[in-house]
Amino acid sequence: MSTDKNVMLIPKIESGIVIDHIPAGFGVRILEIISHYTQVTDTIISLGLNYQSQRLGRKDLIKLQVEYLDPEIIQHISIVVPGVTVKAIKNFAVQNKVVVQPPHEIRNLLHCKNPKCISTTEQAIETHFKMVDPASKKVKCVYCERIFDLHELKLKQVF
Amino acid sequence: MKKDLISMDDLTLDEIKIYLEVARRIEAMPLPERLRVLPGKIMASLFFEPSTRTRLSFESAMHRLGGSVIGFADQGATSVSKGETLSDTIQTIENYVDIIVMRHPGEGTARRAAELTDLPVINAGDGSNQHPTQTLLDLYTIEKDLGRIEGITMAFVGDLKYSRTVHSLVRALMKFNVTEFYLVAPEALRLPGYFMMNDQPGRYRFIETESLEEAIAKCDILYMTRIQRERFPDLLEYEKVKDSYVLSHSMLASAKADLRVLHPLPRVNEISTDVDHTRFAGYFPQTRNGVIMRQAILSMHLGGRI
Ligand SMILES: [Zn+2]
Repeated sequence: MSTDKNVMLIPKIESGIVIDHIPAGFGVRILEIISHYTQVTDTIISLGLNYQSQRLGRKDLIKLQVEYLDPEIIQHISIVVPGVTVKAIKNFAVQNKVVVQPPHEIRNLLHCKNPKCISTTEQAIETHFKMVDPASKKVKCVYCERIFDLHELKLKQVF
Repeated sequence: MKKDLISMDDLTLDEIKIYLEVARRIEAMPLPERLRVLPGKIMASLFFEPSTRTRLSFESAMHRLGGSVIGFADQGATSVSKGETLSDTIQTIENYVDIIVMRHPGEGTARRAAELTDLPVINAGDGSNQHPTQTLLDLYTIEKDLGRIEGITMAFVGDLKYSRTVHSLVRALMKFNVTEFYLVAPEALRLPGYFMMNDQPGRYRFIETESLEEAIAKCDILYMTRIQRERFPDLLEYEKVKDSYVLSHSMLASAKADLRVLHPLPRVNEISTDVDHTRFAGYFPQTRNGVIMRQAILSMHLGGRI
């Protein structure tokens, strides 16, 4: 949980989005992901590193002065760093929060590794994977039906 | 029912049984009556790579249901070879026909095509991914030959590593509660290990053996496949094993009386011709069943009167 000391370091925001419970070291990675999306191009973003956390020991934290976060961005974060909490803040209070989990379906974010797959050869096709085993993070390409480990798939250059 | 037939993995056991049931009804229909199932309907036969048997089987099936066929046998002569996208091809051809049958080397192409059109799409093979009509016709053949599928003993021989036909049939048979599989394959072409791992350990028995005779003595269906020389990194290795997976009449001495030998065809030399005229040979009737099963599929996906 945030302590008063933490609040001193990154000011409380009146309204916006807080990405919390980021395992220490992944804050920069998430910032990198977010910065690729045009939704947040002109947004004020603050990044806090190595906060104390009861749950994680150390954690990172990101605050954005936006009303909401594009589902695309949340999907992207959920794949790279699952388990973080996204909180919507209004009038200095948490309006709602979600713990982002790897999604059941991942659309247009990852590249299929199979060179014979139609999604890698045909232009103008959105890639589409389904989670077949959330525990081991195995995903199946909807097109070529091959099964991959989530971490072995590269991100599509959508930016 | 689903609009399309793309992958065996999309089908439940009950859905598979409906295809088998409709095939039985089609087979029982007198030929003149069959011609009245799909009059006026047009099937597009889009073969982006050649596969003469599958294409002729589909085209025969459609003609014999009173429908007609347009299409191509090889993309060389089409606008696709000029760089037309799949999307443009489908959105053009859908104006001409009622159903699309397609074969394509790109894996997932039939699934993609089905997203692009409201017409039913039937996958006639997408690379090494799926070929569901082959699996359905194999199941129909087994059921017809033995009177049942559940509980039979299967033997698969040859290339069990790369054969799409084998993989798809093994998965389907597991749905039918077939639990005993004899596997006869060279070391380099064994069935991938993930088939033997499943959520019900102990339920299925996969017996790997070097001996074709042992499998013959135990099985109800002997499913032969072609071993391709290109699969071997070492040609010497190929020369050493190639004859161990060739079936001849004399080897069938210990077979059960109603054993059937099946093969997706074309064969090269893995079944010697002296088997052809024995009661064990099931591979030519199997191709005949292919036409019947494809008639069942076409009529089901076109809402024909059965
Ligand atoms: Zn794929």
